[in-house]
Amino acid sequence: MGPPSREAWAQRLGAFRASPCAFLAGPQGEDLGRELLSDLRSDKLSEQTKVSLLALSLEYAAQLWPDAPAAEAAAASLLDTLVLLPPRPSALRRPLLLAATTALAAGGALGPASGAACRLLPLLLGLALGRDLGRGFGPASEQRPLQATACECLRELESCQPGLLRASLGPLRAGLAQEGPVQPLSLLLALALHNALALQPRAGAGLQGLLTARVAAAGDSPWSWTLAGDSDVPFEPQAPSWPEAEEGARGLLALELSPEESRELRATVAQLLDASYLLAPVAQAQLLWLLCRALRGLRGQPPALFKPQLVRLLGTAHPGCPAPGPAPPHPPLLPPLPPELPRKLSAGPRRRGGRPAAARAPAVPRPPAPALCTSPQPSLARLHLLCLLCAEDTEEDDRGQGGSPQRYLEELLAGLRQRAALDGGPRAWATLCFQASYLVAHCLAGQPAVLTPLVRGLAQLYRARPVLAPHFVDLLDRVGPELGEPLRVALCREVVSRPGGDAALGWHLQVLARVVGAGSQSATLHFLQAAAAHCPDWGLQQALLRVCRALLGSGGGGGLADLLQALARWLEDPDGRDHARLYYVLLAHLAGPKLGLALGPSLAAPAMASSLVAENQGFAAALMVREAAAPMRLSVGPRVATGPCPVLQLQVEALEPAYSLELRFRVEGQLYAPLGAVHVPCLCPSRPASPLLLPLQPRRPAPTRLHVQALYTTPAGLTCHARLPPLTVTFSHLFLPFPQAPRGAEPGFFEELWDSCLPGGAESRVWCALGPQGLETLVSCHLEPFVVAARPPASYHVAIRLPPDSKLLLRLEAPQVDGVPVALRTDDWALLPLAADYLRGLSAAA
Amino acid sequence: MAQRAVWLISHEPGTPRCGTVKFSRRYPTVEKRASVHNGANYVPVPEDGPFLKALLSELRLLGDDKDFVESRDSCSRINKTSIYGLPVGSEELWPVVAFLKNDMIYACVPLVEQTLNPRPPLISISGISQGLELLFGIQDFLYSGQKSDTELNTKLSQLPELLLQACPFGTLLDANLQNSLDNVGFASVTQPQKQPAWRAGTYKGKPQVSISITEKVKSMQYGKQDIADTWQVVGAVTCKCDLEGFMPNVTVSLHLPTNGSPLQDILVHPCVTSLDSAILTSSSVDGMDDSAFSGPYKFPFIPPLESFNLCYYTSQVPVPPILGFYQIKEEDIQLKITVNLKLHESIKNTFEFCEAHIPFYNRGPITHLEYKVSFGQLEVFREKGLLVWIIGQKFPKSMDISLSGTVTFGAKSHEKQPFDPICIGGTAYLKLHFRILDYTLTGCYADQHSVQVFASGKPKISTHRKLISSDYYIWNSKAPAPVTYGSLLLLP
Repeated sequence: MGPPSREAWAQRLGAFRASPCAFLAGPQGEDLGRELLSDLRSDKLSEQTKVSLLALSLEYAAQLWPDAPAAEAAAASLLDTLVLLPPRPSALRRPLLLAATTALAAGGALGPASGAACRLLPLLLGLALGRDLGRGFGPASEQRPLQATACECLRELESCQPGLLRASLGPLRAGLAQEGPVQPLSLLLALALHNALALQPRAGAGLQGLLTARVAAAGDSPWSWTLAGDSDVPFEPQAPSWPEAEEGARGLLALELSPEESRELRATVAQLLDASYLLAPVAQAQLLWLLCRALRGLRGQPPALFKPQLVRLLGTAHPGCPAPGPAPPHPPLLPPLPPELPRKLSAGPRRRGGRPAAARAPAVPRPPAPALCTSPQPSLARLHLLCLLCAEDTEEDDRGQGGSPQRYLEELLAGLRQRAALDGGPRAWATLCFQASYLVAHCLAGQPAVLTPLVRGLAQLYRARPVLAPHFVDLLDRVGPELGEPLRVALCREVVSRPGGDAALGWHLQVLARVVGAGSQSATLHFLQAAAAHCPDWGLQQALLRVCRALLGSGGGGGLADLLQALARWLEDPDGRDHARLYYVLLAHLAGPKLGLALGPSLAAPAMASSLVAENQGFAAALMVREAAAPMRLSVGPRVATGPCPVLQLQVEALEPAYSLELRFRVEGQLYAPLGAVHVPCLCPSRPASPLLLPLQPRRPAPTRLHVQALYTTPAGLTCHARLPPLTVTFSHLFLPFPQAPRGAEPGFFEELWDSCLPGGAESRVWCALGPQGLETLVSCHLEPFVVAARPPASYHVAIRLPPDSKLLLRLEAPQVDGVPVALRTDDWALLPLAADYLRGLSAAA
Repeated sequence: MAQRAVWLISHEPGTPRCGTVKFSRRYPTVEKRASVHNGANYVPVPEDGPFLKALLSELRLLGDDKDFVESRDSCSRINKTSIYGLPVGSEELWPVVAFLKNDMIYACVPLVEQTLNPRPPLISISGISQGLELLFGIQDFLYSGQKSDTELNTKLSQLPELLLQACPFGTLLDANLQNSLDNVGFASVTQPQKQPAWRAGTYKGKPQVSISITEKVKSMQYGKQDIADTWQVVGAVTCKCDLEGFMPNVTVSLHLPTNGSPLQDILVHPCVTSLDSAILTSSSVDGMDDSAFSGPYKFPFIPPLESFNLCYYTSQVPVPPILGFYQIKEEDIQLKITVNLKLHESIKNTFEFCEAHIPFYNRGPITHLEYKVSFGQLEVFREKGLLVWIIGQKFPKSMDISLSGTVTFGAKSHEKQPFDPICIGGTAYLKLHFRILDYTLTGCYADQHSVQVFASGKPKISTHRKLISSDYYIWNSKAPAPVTYGSLLLLP
């Protein structure tokens, strides 16, 4: 099968370039390197195709020939191809030299044992020095470009194998002095010299001989293979890095040259520098860089050597020079200025009237008009400098109208905020604004004069564009408390002042979850309550819950428990409800640091997680219920005479905060059915507690005493038990009214009840003493709900239902000055003494 | 001091990948060196696909900026340089030099010849400066004189061959790729010794030297008491020397009129062989004594074959050529505008053209306009929301002209009307465009009799001068305006 055609190769190369790894792993990949080498000798392929094959090998040598033997074989094959080329002009010679060099160096085959290297190196050196290579290596017209290429190849080999050309310094220097391409030879000599000096302590003396030899130094081999590899110190051409502090690391200081060596070295350097103006600017930069590095720390090499070239370069528009001496005129790391501008600081401002701005403070690059700042990088760099200027400027007086850098900074920030606030603007504008704010906060943390307007401006920005909420959260996470705390407060105020149903509610909740803290809880809760009604979807509900969680983390506080309970009921989403309930339970059962720990491990409570031993005692204590003094006072409130059964209204007065309070009641004497426990989410001394309603289920209508116990959690997270003083349930607490009789039928209704009591029941008469208020007041105070028929002020018929199924009827008629005779009937004779006692009690109260 | 790889990527917003690698070049020998120098911290250069994605994401060019992405948008991720670290798998490729210009992303990965942990300071990595030079060089090559996409594609197809010349092993030899292109053409010429690297061949033909001085004047005028107006002039001297011989020497002298302000911040082309240090002492920044040196400014050089900028300079001229005043009053849906322009009496009153562009951003199209001009004529571009006041070739004798009018706008539709992040609310500007031939604001000139040429044949020497406006803004005095560096550095 013949070699692939031009088209086939183009296709193959295209596929290879698209993804070299995938191609090499595929079926075609295996033979690519081999076929490429063989097709280079094919007569059927054009030179152009062969050049493209060589171009591929230049880029992917390491992939095509991945190990040293393959690289060695490839280099040998390329060299064979090179020498077999017919002596007419060919575009292949240069790329073949480059490809052979690349294959050897990239494949790790470079070494004294490499046959290809031993063929390539003399060929390259001969070409570089313009020697006649005997058989007429290529036509004369190609000699100059081949000479330059050979120099480049040698330079690359010297870079990969530092010190390799040490023995060839003299011939290279001689080549430069004669006719030869200045730039390639200069750069090659400079690199070889640099490496030779860097490795001189390892190689021993003899520099003078090396620099003056007209032919390669004698010895077994003109190539120094081992210099770079025989030391523990890695050869790092760029180290020690800026600033030049640790000279000793490369042993340069240890290098002592003899006067003759110094003189010869100086002459070589001068020779290179004198011709340097003939080099392209980037090549000049490399040359100076190499020479500066090479001579650093050497005695007898005065820096004045460089002066004429440096003076010339300092006024040059494209130095491209990484600065031997002062910094280059334009900062090399910034994007380029528009090409029509000189790469140097542009001209200064003038005052109105034309007097030049004479005395200036520091030389600061001036920020251009924002319209010209399309790239954020220079803007930030300039802003940073401006911040530093402001920081330096604090001591000085304000320069008055428009003079102060601070005012300028403020205007700049305001401009950036204005851009960020534009609806629909790209995110990069917002990012730039926040980066600028971050820089200012970072540099000017101690300056309230700067930070106060910044906080105000940012709050305004939030008001204008809540969609930037993630940026605000990010900023708060990054800045220190100097900006963070006031900004947090300002944003919290900004958010909670919004109506709950704002379209940007999601963003508000996101910000709020970050900014809630002590001090604004009531307003926050208010906002959340309003917002809860506008959270139809899962995302918003979760955002709402995250704020609740943040509130929990910051200590909970009054009202949160109520909100969580409400959310546990209201939220449509079961997940949301569960979370609300969970938070509520956490709030109810844990407090303080434990709550923080439960919400997520944080630095705030490290001890809880780590120190187990110390924790154990406290942990055991936390698990046990401890006896404590009652955290509240209970009392029986006014009678609630409604509903099917009597209800005891209990007044609670909290003495200490208590969470998850459970009140247990035991009835003395089993007169009533057992009473259920009453639960209170939380009690807070500062907050009036609503009364508790305790339904009673009497088995006998009799007064009794209730023994009360309280079980609750303290804010410290401990579970406590307390006994409370017993509560007395009086006879009257059991009174219930009869259902309302139809209007007008009341007297008849009463008479029916009255008659129904006998004969099974009992009848009695009691004298009830009246106080100065008289009968009417007595009735209205004590018996009002039970009056069935009345003719005030002289006659009242009272019917009282006593659960489970008794009744007590009273007739209060014809009062006298000091009392009223009460006729009473009941269907339960056991009630008579209780009723009599009750009525006597009323007399006593009167 | 070398590059591990170079890329050219066209930014194509709206396409699925948002970009295409137009050109890439890897240097395996440099990669080998990187693996040796960087040791355990060595991260191989990824293939084009993953690199493209990582770079576009880092440069915010994936068009996905709808959501806040912390790794990209965080306020503390401040990068003041064009040097990036790109996530490659679980590691980070650093340093990557990259910038976007004309929808083309230029990127390279310089070699760091030392350990990467800790990261060395950027200034100590010589490959970064060189990488930038290489990328600028490619940019200059692609866009110099290029007019159409076809030309761009032709130039892109030339890049592999050019880089083989200019950067065969990842170490840049000449940032001027055009030179390399010429070199290819001149390869058959047997060259003598000592030819400058930037002068690839020789010129054959009639000897001539052309020197032209172009001054650009910029200004920001506010019409406010508390903000000082600013103006500056930047000059560039462009030469084209068609001279025979391998190393012709030319000396050009720049002269100033008596009492002219001295030239400052002078920067010369690298082909200038020597420079009097007195020329370099006058700088606009350090406020040295201006009277120290006022020319003539002599520049001896060996000219490259192509046209080049011999030098740049700035100068402190006493007045802006045109003093302007612009005022907008917003009344309901109308804007009342007033413009006054005054040409300074010392300025040559012969323009090639002079126009004032009055754009209205972030508003709807112009639906109605009533105006009065004391001179010239007004053109209205309704859809663009732009007024162009064509002043013409001369100011009237009074040197003072005015425009007043009332502009009404229609409803704003986002797609069509020009959008501007600065001109919000009352913030608005008027921009002057003018050109005056055979004139410089500084008075700087190159006397053709003082041009010395050491080359065979007597060349024809021609000199030209012109003043053109550039970023000449007059801001609405009734609203906030972006302050340039204005008063920042001024002391009472």
